[in-house]
Amino acid sequence: MSDVNGNVLYDSVKGIKKEGEFVGSIITRCSDDKDSMIFSDNLKISNSEGIFISNGFKVGFELIYNKMSAFSRKIDELNIKDTSSIEYVILIPEDVMQVYDEGQFSDAFPYTLNKLNTSTLYLDDYEYGINHLDFFKEEMLRNPVAFVGNGILLADRVVIDFRGDPVFYDALIVGRDENNNLSVSYEPITTTKKSLTNVKWIIILGIEELKL
Amino acid sequence: MDNNLGHRRIKAIKGNLPNMILYENKRKKLIDVLKWGNTPFKKFVSTGEIREELGLVKSRKNFINTIENIVKEDKNFILPIIGDVGSGKTHLYWALKNSLYRYNTFYISLEYIYKKFFYNIYSEFIENLELAPLKFIINQLCDEWGACERKFGFFHVADLEKIKNYAFKLLSKKYSKIETEILTDIICGIVAHQLDPYKKIEAERWLLGELMEAKELSRLNLSNDLRKGKNAFMMLRLLIENSKSGTILFIDDFEKIISITEPKDESAEEIYDPSWLYGPGKSPDDIAAEKVFNKIVQLQQIEGLCIVITLKSIDALEEIKKKYQEQNADLLFSIKEPLFLLDFKEEDIFEFYKERMRNFYEDIRISDFNKAFQNPYFPLNKRILRNIYESTKGNPREIIKVLIKIFNEIIYSNEKLEIVLENYE
Repeated sequence: MSDVNGNVLYDSVKGIKKEGEFVGSIITRCSDDKDSMIFSDNLKISNSEGIFISNGFKVGFELIYNKMSAFSRKIDELNIKDTSSIEYVILIPEDVMQVYDEGQFSDAFPYTLNKLNTSTLYLDDYEYGINHLDFFKEEMLRNPVAFVGNGILLADRVVIDFRGDPVFYDALIVGRDENNNLSVSYEPITTTKKSLTNVKWIIILGIEELKL
Repeated sequence: MDNNLGHRRIKAIKGNLPNMILYENKRKKLIDVLKWGNTPFKKFVSTGEIREELGLVKSRKNFINTIENIVKEDKNFILPIIGDVGSGKTHLYWALKNSLYRYNTFYISLEYIYKKFFYNIYSEFIENLELAPLKFIINQLCDEWGACERKFGFFHVADLEKIKNYAFKLLSKKYSKIETEILTDIICGIVAHQLDPYKKIEAERWLLGELMEAKELSRLNLSNDLRKGKNAFMMLRLLIENSKSGTILFIDDFEKIISITEPKDESAEEIYDPSWLYGPGKSPDDIAAEKVFNKIVQLQQIEGLCIVITLKSIDALEEIKKKYQEQNADLLFSIKEPLFLLDFKEEDIFEFYKERMRNFYEDIRISDFNKAFQNPYFPLNKRILRNIYESTKGNPREIIKVLIKIFNEIIYSNEKLEIVLENYE
C-alpha cells in the first residue's frame, strides 16, 4: 500500500477537498448507481466551480433496452458542480505509476487479445448478470477494469485460468482500508476467488474507444 | 561360531574398501590420463569464435588496465596494438572480453570480413549483445519516441503512426545525411517489434539480422532487410549510441587494408600481377580495400564506439596514418599511441604452463592433481621450460607449439617419461 495522504484530492467520506489544478493519473469515483468512474490526466477543483475535468474517459454500466451493458466514452469537458455525486478523487502517486508502466511492455505475452469495443466480461447482478468467463477460459485480455470488494482494479491484462478464475497482471488497486482511508497499491499479480463473491464486475476496455 | 565371526569381519572390510584408498600413484595416473589422448596443449592459434578462458600472464596484466583506462577516458578512438605473429593478439581479445565484461566487446577479422561489411559487423554485435539488452535498448528508444505516453492518465494506447512520425522527425534531424528510406525502415522495424504484438515475431527476426523474404518484409511495411545498403550501419549506430554499456570493436589483422593495396616487399617475385589483367588502374582488391577503409572511417562516426586494432608492425601503423592523412586528416587525432604486445618474459612461461595445467586438471575433473606433485611442473620440469623459452625467444605461439610436440611425444611414445624428456633437458 502506498501512502496517498497527499494524493487524495476529494473524499466525501473523510470530508477532504483540495482546491487547485492537478495533473497526473487521476481516478474519479462517482457515487451513482452505474458504478461509473472517470480516468483523466488533469482535474481542477474549486469551491465555486466544483470539479472540472477535460479530456477524461468515463467507464461504467448503463441499461439499454432492458439489458445492462458496459460503456466507456471520452469526455471532452465535464463540470461537476454538485460534488455530492462524486465519492472520491485520487491522484495516483508517480512512483506507483512508473512501476505500473514498467509492467506494460512485458513481451512475455505476445498473444494477448485486444477487444475493439468495450464490453462486460463479468457482472454479478441478480437481474442482469453476465458471465463470459468460461468463453475466455485460458485466454489473456488487455485493459481490464474491475470492481472488486469495494475497490477499483485497473490492470494491464487479465488471464482467465483453467478454473475460470480471473487473474489480473500489472494491477493498480484503489480502495478503502478498515478506517475508511483511501489507499493505492500496485500488484504484479492479483488472483480472485473462484466463487467471485467479491468481484462485482469486470469490464474489458475497447482499444478503439481508448484511441478516440 | 568362529567361522561366522571371520566371515562377518571380511564382509565389513570389503564394505569399507571403496573409501580406503591408502596410496594412489598420481604420477602414473596422470601419465595414463595423457596416454588416453588427453593433452593440455591442443592449439596454438586463437580465433574470434572459440572462447579462451586463460587469462593474461603477469607481465601483460597491466595491458588490460591500460586499455580499460583509455576506454574510460575516451569514448571514440582507434587504439592500435602492435605485436609479432604469434604474440597473442587474438588471445588478448578474449582476455579483454573477459575482463571488461561490462562492455559489449566484439571481434571481427579483416582476413574474413570485407564483403557486406556493416551487415557482418552488425551480426557480430548482436550475437555478443544478446537478446535481453537488445530489447532493453529498443524499449528505451520507443519510450523516447513517445510510446509510453499515458492516454487519459493511465492507458498506453500506442498510436503507431504518431510514434513513427515523431521518431522520424527526431532521427532525420540527428542523422540528416542518412537516406529517408533507411530511416523509415529502421523506425518501422523497431516500432513493430516493440508495439505491435501481431508483427513482433517477424520484426524480431528482422532485428536479429535474418534474411527475409519480400512477403515477410511487406507485412512489416519494410523495403529491405538489414543486408541492404546502409541499413545495418544505421541500426548499429542507433543501438551503440543508445546502449548504456560501452562498445568495443576489436578488429584483427587491420593491416590487411594496406597489404592488399600495397605489397610491402618490392623485391618479391610476383607470380601474378593484377595489372596484367586490370591495367595500371586499381585492381578489384584495391577497390575492396578502399571500400573497407571508407567503411571503417564511417564506423568512427558512431558515438561511444571504441575500436581496438591489431597490427604486426609499426610500419603498418605509419601506412594507416598516411591513409588517414590523405583521406580525412581530422580523424588522425582519434588514433591513439600504440601499445606493444611483447613476447613472454622468462617467468611468464612458468606461470602460463602452471595455469594451463590447472585448467586441464579442472576440465577433466582431477583438480586435486594441481598440488599433488612435488615438482609443480610435472610431467615436465623447470629446466625443460627454461630451454623452451630460450629456444623460442619467448614467442607465445612458438612456446605452445613446442609444448604440443612434447606432450604428443609423451602420449604416443612407448618409452618411459624420463627417456622421452631427455631430448629437451
